[in-house]
Amino acid sequence: MWAELRELRDGIDTGTPPRDGPNVTLTVDGVEVSVPAGTSIMLAAAKAGRSVPKLCATDMLEAFGSCRVCLVEIEGRSGFPASCTSLVADSMVVRTQSDDLQRLRKGVIELYLSDFPSGDIPGGWSEFHTVLDQVGVKTHPYAPIDNHMDAPIDSSNPYFLFDPAKCIVCSRCVRACADIQGTFALTIDGRGFRSKVAAGMDETFFESPCVSCGACVQTCPTQALIEKSLFVGGYSRG
Amino acid sequence: MANPIKPDNSVVTTCAYCGVGCGFKAETYEGRVVRMIPWKEGKANHGHSCIKGRFAFDYYISPERVLTPLIRTTIDEPWRSVGWPEAIEYAAKGLRRVQEKFGRTSVGAVSSSRCTNEEIFLTQKFARAVLGNNNIDNCARICHSPTQFGLSATVGWGAASQHFDSILQADVIMVVGANPTEGHPVFGSLMKRRIRQGAKLIVLDPRQTESVKSPHLKADVHLPLRPGTNVAVLDSISHVVVRENLYAEDFIRARCEWHEFENWAALVGSDQYAPEVIGPLAGIDPQDIRKAARLYAGGPNSAIYYGLGVTEHSQGSTGVMCLGNLALACGMLGREGVGVNPLRGQGNVQGGSCLGSWPHVFSGYRFVTDDAVRASFEKDWGVTLDSEPGLRLPNMFDAALTGHFRGMYIMGEDPVQSDPNQNHIVEAMRRMEFVILHDLFLNETSKYAHVFLPGSSSLEKDGTFTSAERRVNRVRKVVEPMAGYQDWEIVVMLMNAMGYPAEYSNAGEILDEIARLSPAYQGLSFALLDRVGSAQWPCNESAPEGTEVLHTKSFPRANGRGTFMLTEYVPTAERTSDRFPLLLTTGRILTQYNVGTQTRRTPNTRWHSEDRLEISREDAEARGIRDGEWVQLTSRFGTTKLRAQFSTRVNAGVVYTTFHHAKSRVNRVTSDLSDWATNCPEYKVTAVEVTRVEQASETATAKRKKQKALEMA
Repeated sequence: MWAELRELRDGIDTGTPPRDGPNVTLTVDGVEVSVPAGTSIMLAAAKAGRSVPKLCATDMLEAFGSCRVCLVEIEGRSGFPASCTSLVADSMVVRTQSDDLQRLRKGVIELYLSDFPSGDIPGGWSEFHTVLDQVGVKTHPYAPIDNHMDAPIDSSNPYFLFDPAKCIVCSRCVRACADIQGTFALTIDGRGFRSKVAAGMDETFFESPCVSCGACVQTCPTQALIEKSLFVGGYSRG
Repeated sequence: MANPIKPDNSVVTTCAYCGVGCGFKAETYEGRVVRMIPWKEGKANHGHSCIKGRFAFDYYISPERVLTPLIRTTIDEPWRSVGWPEAIEYAAKGLRRVQEKFGRTSVGAVSSSRCTNEEIFLTQKFARAVLGNNNIDNCARICHSPTQFGLSATVGWGAASQHFDSILQADVIMVVGANPTEGHPVFGSLMKRRIRQGAKLIVLDPRQTESVKSPHLKADVHLPLRPGTNVAVLDSISHVVVRENLYAEDFIRARCEWHEFENWAALVGSDQYAPEVIGPLAGIDPQDIRKAARLYAGGPNSAIYYGLGVTEHSQGSTGVMCLGNLALACGMLGREGVGVNPLRGQGNVQGGSCLGSWPHVFSGYRFVTDDAVRASFEKDWGVTLDSEPGLRLPNMFDAALTGHFRGMYIMGEDPVQSDPNQNHIVEAMRRMEFVILHDLFLNETSKYAHVFLPGSSSLEKDGTFTSAERRVNRVRKVVEPMAGYQDWEIVVMLMNAMGYPAEYSNAGEILDEIARLSPAYQGLSFALLDRVGSAQWPCNESAPEGTEVLHTKSFPRANGRGTFMLTEYVPTAERTSDRFPLLLTTGRILTQYNVGTQTRRTPNTRWHSEDRLEISREDAEARGIRDGEWVQLTSRFGTTKLRAQFSTRVNAGVVYTTFHHAKSRVNRVTSDLSDWATNCPEYKVTAVEVTRVEQASETATAKRKKQKALEMA
């Protein structure tokens, strides 16, 4: 009855919250797996040992479907649905790897990389870096025209900083602030390329209603939000 | 390169701040803690955290930490740094000398809810087996002792009936005298989540807390009662339950004695508790009392969460009983989603309560006067134990003033700052012959101590904490103790130096002794906790991994039934008058923790650098006070200076302040009245007057000093 909270496991991110309920059985990459009805394909795949790359999904938050990295193929259905927002069904047959999927994921990742500080790609250990390894993409073909390299870093909070250059606007911080902490201090301001994470009424984190619970820092997949204690001698963008 | 350092090690442990008991992974890099990551498998927090546990841990490496033992002959001398053997011997001899001069019962010990269960248990063993008396108390005396008394009386155990997750099954949540989003933030978030899912919320609090109104949250009923009228208002809610036949007759007949219910119903059902009578007395709308009663009784699942706003009153124990009565009458006990749950302020208040750190009971709340119980401890400890209950903490100070109490071992406490009526405590401390303080930092109390034993922070030791939901969580050593020893090892050294042989090779062996001697903890061991993560007591043969919900079939009382206590409202003697027309109440803020020993040594002070007096615009303007000005706060007991802050959170007639900063000396003002049953101080009600002053004198002096220093340079 509290699977969403109680079945979370340290060191494992199944991508979407665990569910309770009667099991359904499906096949992921040839592996048969049973999960409660209402579970996402992403979680089922994780349970089958076929982890799907993901950025905007985490098992502490409801699925959002914005990053477009977790695409899969479902037999008998057209297109490439996001595995986080697609629910399992009995006898479903799912493929998490194919040439088409790899091509699509590579395309998406390259776009993310085109707006990420290039100096911070090697040697990183964020979830984003794990996905880069998973998909096998470390470079992008785009010219450095549009990026956020001149966006100011918000280091107003004594404990953590926000570097918009590393933000992929996946909304995990916004959703964590609302759904986990319940403070609603964060929002996404603006549209398209200009969309950005904003605290309060476009204030600094320190001045905003942020209560420094750390949920946003905890969930950020790119370390755009990160503890200052992890930088010896201060932070500089790579 | 801006890639962060990657922690090279991590240890799962438990937060040492409030009573929620969040699990954390303490991550280290080259032996130093670099971040605290909320543990996803923590059963209280499920991967969530608050600013204190998540970020405010640097106090452990504060340059103000004392890392060597200190001794001195008199409190007017400067401290002398010595090695551990010398300090321990000096401490042991000092206490024995006092006992030789003034008798066996002239000394005592106090433990703290910031200590582990193992340290608390050892400290009470130290008092009983080594000092040979029952002069042992703990700081729960000044916060939740009425919980112990009031809940035991009605439902049998002085502990939360539920686990925190149970709130996700509640349809109606009643928060009484608690401020979860500030004091117990991770539980506050869970509560807000449930309210967003549609649960109704009733708040009883003189102040408009964040639970009353904040983004996506609005209480269905807020009763901003006048401080000191809790029992009247709760009786009035019960009045409505009785008179409108909202009680659960089947539950009462099955689980309680019907005639006891009838007696109680006759009292609270009498006209004197009608909302139309109590409403005006408490300064609230009678219809809101009716609405609250109907909501709560209607459930179907209604859960009560309460805090120090219930306990810290002259009728604190009665207030707790009111909550027990109400839950019994409405059948809101014994299943998921209901219950009566104290929110504990410090990490281990529940453990402090359970483990015999009281002058009248051993661990498991068994009386020292009970020959059979005492015999079991005598057998295990190999000494004869005193059958006479000892002194309570406030009585120790009273006895110090009459010369009957002369020496103390204080572990992890700062009574001079945290206990009420500071002037009285200071005088008592001055009269003591020999005081040992065991703490991380020199504090207000160390000014009156003869020995200072440097303690270890919770990051530096092994043990367990028992959280507000009765959950026993493992505390694990993340880094080596900076002063050389874990706190339990220091108590063991002291025991041996005083001639009582004690030997434990690790803290787990102390837990084994606790399990052996305390029924509710019977099944606990480090091995079990390492396997299942944490366990809620009672944990025994019939519940090998602990018990989530209490009272499902019967109540732990002699007849197995819950009972209704008669809870007549007796107004506190602390009343407003022409001289003291306002009522002061106190509370906490998110970023600071209690007397601030830890959080004041972290950047948390950026959010809260001083205590301020919240005052309504109406009361302020009547006194010519402007927002932000210094004011003098005066009560019958003392005076202090604070900066005023206009607030719409308090009604006219009520002023409010936090008490996190020593320099505010708020407890110089608070009254010396206390709960009739347990002596828990009445911090929540003090009649005061507020007057405008030019500037705080301390600040003026500090400024002059600074100016002088500048001139000299």
